[in-house]
Amino acid sequence: MRPVGDDRSRPRPQTDSGNRTDPRDRDDVTSEAALQKSPVEVEDLTKRYGDVRALDGVSLRTAPGEIFGLLGHNGAGKSTMIRILTGRARPTSGRARVLGHDVPRDLEAIRGQINLVAETPNVYQRATARENLELFCALYGLPKKRGAEALEQVRLSSVAGRKVKTFSTGMRQRLLLARALLNSPRVLFLDEPTRGLDPRSARDLRQTVTALADGGSTIFLTTHDMNEADELCQRVAFLAEGRLVALDTPRALKLRLASTAPALDVLLDDGTDVRLKLDEPQDTARLQQLIDTGRVRSMHSLEPTLADVFIRLAGRSLEDDRSDEAGEW
Amino acid sequence: MVNARRILAILTKDLRDAGRDGRILVLLLLPIGMALFYNATFTDPNELPTTDVAIVDPGGGGVARELRAAAGKSVKVQMRQTRDAASARKLVAANDVDFAVVVAPAAQRGPARAELLVAEGASPTAQSVIALVPDALTHAAGREPAAQTQVRVVPAAHSKPYGLDDPRTVTILLVIVLHLVFVAMMVVPILTAEELETGTFSALRLAATGPEILAAKALAGFIFGLAGVGLIVVLTKLDIHDPSLFFGAAFGLIVSLVGFGLLTGVLWPNSNSINTYASFLLVPLVALAGAVLFAPSGILATILDVLPFSQGTKLLADGLSAHAPFHAGLVSWAVIAAWSLAGYVILVRMATRREI
Repeated sequence: MRPVGDDRSRPRPQTDSGNRTDPRDRDDVTSEAALQKSPVEVEDLTKRYGDVRALDGVSLRTAPGEIFGLLGHNGAGKSTMIRILTGRARPTSGRARVLGHDVPRDLEAIRGQINLVAETPNVYQRATARENLELFCALYGLPKKRGAEALEQVRLSSVAGRKVKTFSTGMRQRLLLARALLNSPRVLFLDEPTRGLDPRSARDLRQTVTALADGGSTIFLTTHDMNEADELCQRVAFLAEGRLVALDTPRALKLRLASTAPALDVLLDDGTDVRLKLDEPQDTARLQQLIDTGRVRSMHSLEPTLADVFIRLAGRSLEDDRSDEAGEW
Repeated sequence: MVNARRILAILTKDLRDAGRDGRILVLLLLPIGMALFYNATFTDPNELPTTDVAIVDPGGGGVARELRAAAGKSVKVQMRQTRDAASARKLVAANDVDFAVVVAPAAQRGPARAELLVAEGASPTAQSVIALVPDALTHAAGREPAAQTQVRVVPAAHSKPYGLDDPRTVTILLVIVLHLVFVAMMVVPILTAEELETGTFSALRLAATGPEILAAKALAGFIFGLAGVGLIVVLTKLDIHDPSLFFGAAFGLIVSLVGFGLLTGVLWPNSNSINTYASFLLVPLVALAGAVLFAPSGILATILDVLPFSQGTKLLADGLSAHAPFHAGLVSWAVIAAWSLAGYVILVRMATRREI
C-alpha cells in the first residue's frame, strides 16, 4: 500500500500575520535531502492490542524542522503512534526511530531531546505551576531557572506560585507547553494540543509551535482540526483504522481531490448565490456579464478543503478495502 | 539503568503532594490518633507509682540519694530541693508535694534527726516512701541502720498466651500493623493510581523510566511507614525491648506489602475508589493479623502462618516484649521475604504487560 504521492515544492502564499512566514512556505525542510536525515522514521510499524490492530504497517518519515500532521478519526492510531515514538509503548512489529535511535530500546539516548504536549492536561493539580516545572527540571537535570524561563515563554510567570487546580483550561495547556519546552526538544510531539482551547490560546500555541519549527525543531502533530493542520503543517498523513491512507502536503491532497475544473461561488446584489464552472463557456460568459452589469457583491473560488479530502478518504476507508483505496490515491 | 537523581526528584514530589492530599493525610493521621487514644485509655502496667518529695538537707543531698536508693524500682521518687522548712511546708500545704523531709543539722553524737511534713490524705505510695525515711537518714549520716531491708520488684505472672496481656501494648501494636497496612495498601496505591488516572504517570515516563517512578512511590511508602511507626512509638512512649528487631520487622512488613500496594494502583487506577473501598477489605485483614496474638489453632493458625502481616505481627511482638513471646525467627522472615518477592515479580509482569 502506498500513500498519496508527494508535493513538497509548491510555493505557499504569505499569511496575513505580519512579518511571520507561513509555516507551509518552508518547503525546503521536506526536501528529499532533508528526509534522509529524518528525525522521526517509522517503518512498517504495527501495534496490536489483543485482536485490535491499532497500527497496521505504517511507514513515514519527517524532516528536520518540519511540522508534520497526523490526522485521523478517534481510534485511528494517532495516539498509539505517539506513544510508540515517545517510548511509552512497544511496537508489535516494525521499526520506529527518533533522532536516529530505535524506540523504545534506545529511549535513554534521546530522552532529553524529545518532549510531548499531551491531549489531556496531565499536570499536578495540587502543585503550583513553578513546582510542576521544577520537578521536570530536576528530572532532566536542568537548573530551576529554566522553569521560570519556560513560564515566561508561555506568559504564565505572574501565576507561577498559584496551584494549577485554579487554572483555566487554556492556562493548563500553556503550562503543558512550557513543560514541553523545558528541554528545548529537537522533536516535539503534540497530541491534539488545541482541543478545548479558546481561539486566542489556540492561536498562541500555534505561533509558539511555528517558532519552534523555525528554530529547527521537528513538530509531530496529531489533530482533529483540519484547519489547524492545513494552516500549520508542511505535510499531513491520514490514518484510518491503523493504516496510512494518504501522505502529502495539504495543497497536493486538496488539488488531487479537485480534479475537476475550478469553480466560483458568486454572491449577487439581490442576495442570490450563483455557482459557475470556469471550464463551461456559458458560465464564463455569464460571469463576464454579471461583472459588467455590476451585480457581483463577492466571489469565492470553490476548492476542496482538507476536511473534504479526509471525509472522502475516511468514508471510503470505512467501506472498502483500504489497500485498493490507497493505491488509487 | 536506574537514575537515583530522577527517583529522588519524584520521591520529593510524592512526599510533598501526599501532604496536600486530604485522603492521604487522614490515612496517615488516623492510626496515630488511634494510638494516642488507646495510650490514654489503657494505663501502662509497667508505669511506676510516683511520689513527690521536698527535701531540706543542709548536709548536701545525701538523704535524697539514699531515699531514692531505698525505694529502688518500686516507686518513682521525684525530689525537690527546698531552701528551708517554711518553703517546704508551703509546698506540702499547696499539695505540690506529698511530703517534705526537713533534715536537722548533723550532730556529733546521737541519732540523725529529721522532721517529716506530710500532706493530709497522702497516698499509699507516699506512705510507703515515708516508711523508708529513717533508714535513708541513717545511711546518709554514715551509720548502719538497726535492720536492713531491700525492695525488689517482682514481675506479674502473665495470664494470657505469649505474655502480651497488657491491652495498651496489644492495641498499640495492632494500630502499628494497621498503619503499615494503610500506608502500603492505600497510600501507595492512591499515589500510583492518581498518577495513572490523571495522566501524570505518562508525563513522567517521558523523563524517567517506569521502574524509577514506581521505585519513588515504594520509597515514599517505606518513609511514611517507618516515620509513622517511629512517631507512634515516641508519642505513646512504647517500651521496646529490642528496637532493631522491632523496626526491622516494621520495615520487612512494609517492604512486603508495598509491592502489592503498587500492584493495586496499577491494576485499579482509580484513587477515589481505592480510598473508598480498600479499607473495607483491609481492616478485617488487620483483625485477622491481630488474631495471632490470641493463640489461634487449626486452620486459622495455618492461614495466619502464611500471611505476611501475621508473621510481621509476631516479629513486632518479639521486638516489643522481653519474653520474645513468639520466638519468631527465620520462618517469619522467610514468609515476609516470599511475599515481598511475589509482590514485586507480579508487579513487574503486570507493569510490563500494561506498558507503564
